Amino acid sequence: MTTGRINAGIMPIVSEGSVADAKIGVRLASRLPARTDDSDLRELTSLAVQGDRTAIESLLGELRPMVVRYCRARLGRVSGQYHIADDVAQEVCIAVLSALPRYRDMGRPFASFVFGIASHKVADALRSSVRSAVPTQDLPDGPDDGPGPEETVVRYIEVEHARRLLARLPRNQRELLLLRVVSGLSAEETGNVLGMSPGAVRVAQHRALARLRQMAELESA
Amino acid sequence: MTPEEESDALLDALAAGELPDSADPAARVLAVLVGEVLDQRRSSVSMTPST
Repeated sequence: MTTGRINAGIMPIVSEGSVADAKIGVRLASRLPARTDDSDLRELTSLAVQGDRTAIESLLGELRPMVVRYCRARLGRVSGQYHIADDVAQEVCIAVLSALPRYRDMGRPFASFVFGIASHKVADALRSSVRSAVPTQDLPDGPDDGPGPEETVVRYIEVEHARRLLARLPRNQRELLLLRVVSGLSAEETGNVLGMSPGAVRVAQHRALARLRQMAELESA
Repeated sequence: MTPEEESDALLDALAAGELPDSADPAARVLAVLVGEVLDQRRSSVSMTPST
């Protein structure tokens, strides 16, 4: 059997429109592996909503890396690990799966729906004052081929510097850059998540880049 | 190409894992962040429940 329904339970109908209207913040995803064409993604989403298991798996395979990068960028590491961010990404994927049977295509990219959920989940995680225990990695059986202590420290300093600069951007500009670069959303998709036209996104991202550039130059002067 | 189009192309390149202009401090900042979150070595995400 290749298809199966996801249990919709008694949850209310959820559409990407309703999420967008919820004044969610914004977020991102990414695209290092070539992304599926938008029309293919729409077709995939349509099949997934109908309960096609293969389509659901393909859809998750497409979206999950974007969600992981978004959550990591928003939440950062805790004790040097991404467990919290990765757990939130997992929650987002599960929430998307749960909401899928009730999703109604309102003509906006499915990514808008996904990142609306991701935005809420990240906000919940940021508000949470209780951080669960952070598991430690197993001791390696062989030599660690990862970066050495010096490289790790240098990288840590660079990342903290980048995070500090981004944190000084206005929230909307920060979200926009994260969605475009870390999550890999297009200007159109980003606009759908943020409630902006593609043209407004392009103007805003140009200003955000200019501001980031100026701050970085000032710090290095 | 307008400045806005140049910025759009720059962001597309960064999203694809490229750093077209290493002299651009803004591009470097964003590239560092992209590189960091792509660190799969420490990834703990899996859709398969661990046993």
